Amino acid sequence: MPYKSSLITRCAATVCAALLATACSPIASGPTQQPSGDTRPARQGGTLRVALSAEPDRLDPTLARTLVGRTVFNAICEKLYDVDSKLNLVPQLAAALPEFSSDGLTVTIRIKVGLKFADGTTLDAAAVKTSLDRHRTLAGSARTSELTSVDSVSVVDTATVAIKMKTAFTPLTAVLADRAGMIMSPAALTAQGENFATSPVCVGPFKFASRVAQDRIEVVKDPNYYDAAKVHLDGVTYKIIADANTRFNNLRSGDVEVLDAVAATDVSALRAEQSLRLITSDSLGYQGITINLGNVDGVGKAPKTLAAPYAGALATDKRVRKAFELSLDRAAINQVVFRGEFSPACGPVSAASPFSSDPAQACPKHDPNEAKSLLQQAGLTLPVKTSMVIGNTADARRLGEAIQAQVKEGGFELELQPVEFAASLTQTDAGKYQAFQIGWSGRVDPDGNIANFVRTSGSQNICGYSNAEVDGWLDEARKTPDVAKRRELYGKVITKLHDDVPLIYLYRQKNLTGVSSKIVGVQVYGDGLIRLATAGFAA
Amino acid sequence: MGRYVLRRLLESAVTLILATIVVFLGIRALPGDPARTLAGEEGDNPAVIAAIRQSYGLDQPLPVQYVRYVQKAVTGDLGRSPRTGLPVAETIGHALPVTLQLAAFAMMVAILIGIGAGVIAAVRRRRPAEWGANAVALIGLSVPNFWFGQMVILGLAIAYPILPASGFVSIFENPVESFRHLLMPAVVLGSGLAAVIMRQTRSAMLDALTADYVRTARAKGLSGGQVIFGHALRNSLIVVITIVGLELGALISGAVVTEQLFVLPGFGKLTIDAVFTRDYPMIQGVVLVTASAYILINLAVDLLYSVIDPRIRVGGRAL
Repeated sequence: MPYKSSLITRCAATVCAALLATACSPIASGPTQQPSGDTRPARQGGTLRVALSAEPDRLDPTLARTLVGRTVFNAICEKLYDVDSKLNLVPQLAAALPEFSSDGLTVTIRIKVGLKFADGTTLDAAAVKTSLDRHRTLAGSARTSELTSVDSVSVVDTATVAIKMKTAFTPLTAVLADRAGMIMSPAALTAQGENFATSPVCVGPFKFASRVAQDRIEVVKDPNYYDAAKVHLDGVTYKIIADANTRFNNLRSGDVEVLDAVAATDVSALRAEQSLRLITSDSLGYQGITINLGNVDGVGKAPKTLAAPYAGALATDKRVRKAFELSLDRAAINQVVFRGEFSPACGPVSAASPFSSDPAQACPKHDPNEAKSLLQQAGLTLPVKTSMVIGNTADARRLGEAIQAQVKEGGFELELQPVEFAASLTQTDAGKYQAFQIGWSGRVDPDGNIANFVRTSGSQNICGYSNAEVDGWLDEARKTPDVAKRRELYGKVITKLHDDVPLIYLYRQKNLTGVSSKIVGVQVYGDGLIRLATAGFAA
Repeated sequence: MGRYVLRRLLESAVTLILATIVVFLGIRALPGDPARTLAGEEGDNPAVIAAIRQSYGLDQPLPVQYVRYVQKAVTGDLGRSPRTGLPVAETIGHALPVTLQLAAFAMMVAILIGIGAGVIAAVRRRRPAEWGANAVALIGLSVPNFWFGQMVILGLAIAYPILPASGFVSIFENPVESFRHLLMPAVVLGSGLAAVIMRQTRSAMLDALTADYVRTARAKGLSGGQVIFGHALRNSLIVVITIVGLELGALISGAVVTEQLFVLPGFGKLTIDAVFTRDYPMIQGVVLVTASAYILINLAVDLLYSVIDPRIRVGGRAL
């Protein structure tokens, strides 16, 4: 399968000139999905085996929190909205995109008529209200924060619901294109109560059949599905195989036909196998370095001045943070650590997103000499000592060591602090760090990739960043439905973030999916979900 | 005998209670908040964390949490995994037979290879057969499971695909498929233990073969086979039984690498996943079952000792 090994391109001279003021150059990215060119028809029948990289948590759209769970939901729980291959929002269970009132405070959603849940009951406006209310109010719901701007949901008629908003919130459509937009069978909710996750019932090409913890999840074709005629497979078995090497071996041996999250180090071997194909798409998320600017009392608390041992010039002087960023050679990191399989990234918005712009893709150049110069301007004695919390996996260590070596050239002495993942989250939430290498899986709407992290009241603003201008632009972007206006506002936000450097964006992972050549019709978009509705064994 | 068994049972119960307390406190002393882990990448919101803590009782004082856990556990209710929402007992019920089957199969492989090679090495001392057996033992002890496992997968599942690379089939469901799925994992898991058993068997057999009773047996005109298997090996087996008893527990709880490699949904894998996700109910459940398994196996070994060697039973009563 053709593939672009390097995705960094320098922009045209005119664009570069416009960006010189910020000493940035733009980064471009590849298409959302590599064209397969595979036109073979699929035969009816067969059970597909898919290797997942981790075990999904609860299969309850209201309570689920893991990324990998979304892949399973994609087979069994459709949403009001979805994305297409170009990441445009499109109706799925809804009949059309939502209608926002002029003040943005009322959102009308029309639903397709005649849809059936897997248990044979009818999906109507009342069912949509039941699910949305459950997402908003169930104790322990993971959707509450996503729907916090919703005031109430009411049934207009059997095929229409009206959502009353507390404040205008344009990203609502994107929110409803994820788990918050999954509609569950009210009959099943009543019957199963809090144990809905053990036997979820929604609308989807497949329906839940069984689950053995840490081993497999089995789904079978749902005859009640409105598009069942297009579904070729009898069922799908999701096998949980955490180790990347073992996953790959299982694909090679034919024990699975589809492989989620191919390791970058296995890509060349996969390409060499004639019986296998690689599907790639740019992730919507990013990996980067979060810097603690003022998180003293924990996330959600007002920023303060850091005390020892976390205080330092990195927190107090943006020239030092810029110097740190200038020391980093993203292309080299990608080549050395990930064999060139990922894409260097300098911002939170994927180039594949409709909200991408030149300012959003602008990238500070690698210049260790300029970094040293900035440190000297700041009156610091070299090397400047600082520390960074990293994961304790092999990949995280390799990335950390590459960063450590690069920033040394820029005048830093970086101490790496490998910490087990769960412990690292607790530690950094509490503000006990100077820098933290962490990533984000990404959302379709840029608001989901920016606001929570840098807005003053952002729920994941662990760096303690606070800027009134940024808050204002983000709030404005939430209110306007105009894509061009929002694109401009996010461009402003990212330009400001490049100046203040609360986060240093490093690279964007690719969604790498391995597929046996016996299989056709597997689709993977930028959201990384493996779509199997039209997949099948080649005839 | 009855008093001896009763005393051992009481000791076992105390050990079990202490084990649950140590683990209950130990996992809570680990850095990393289970509520934060459960909340996932969207869970920095303090309100969300607080709601999760409340819904799983994590906001209660530790003694209250422990008492609630014990109250439920004695009725067989080990709770639900906050992560998957599935009952802990049911999850363990799926995982435990996998590991038991794997461990039993690996143990059989280890015993067959270990005792066989150990007897050969002792009887054929200072001959090529002993050197060969020693070399096999050295390799078995030196080669790490993760590497050995990868090699057999590459050889027997990918290059010459005669065995499946992963998965589990219960022996009660399909014995042939069960054998095919477990053969590679059992050989990988049992290889190290086979080497240990081989060395212990060889050492014990060398002692036995020079003992007076063996000389007497030979003087009475018994055949070589009768002397080796009827006298020397039988007396050497007490050491092997000890090793088997100790190692069976270790196999059950230590099969995690093999389970990961061959994608077996067993107990070791379940334990590791539970620790990394701070799944307290699951950790407590697996520790309770593991501790019980260790205690029962040790109890069985002690009782087996007393059957094989009555002096142990008498000694126990004297104490």
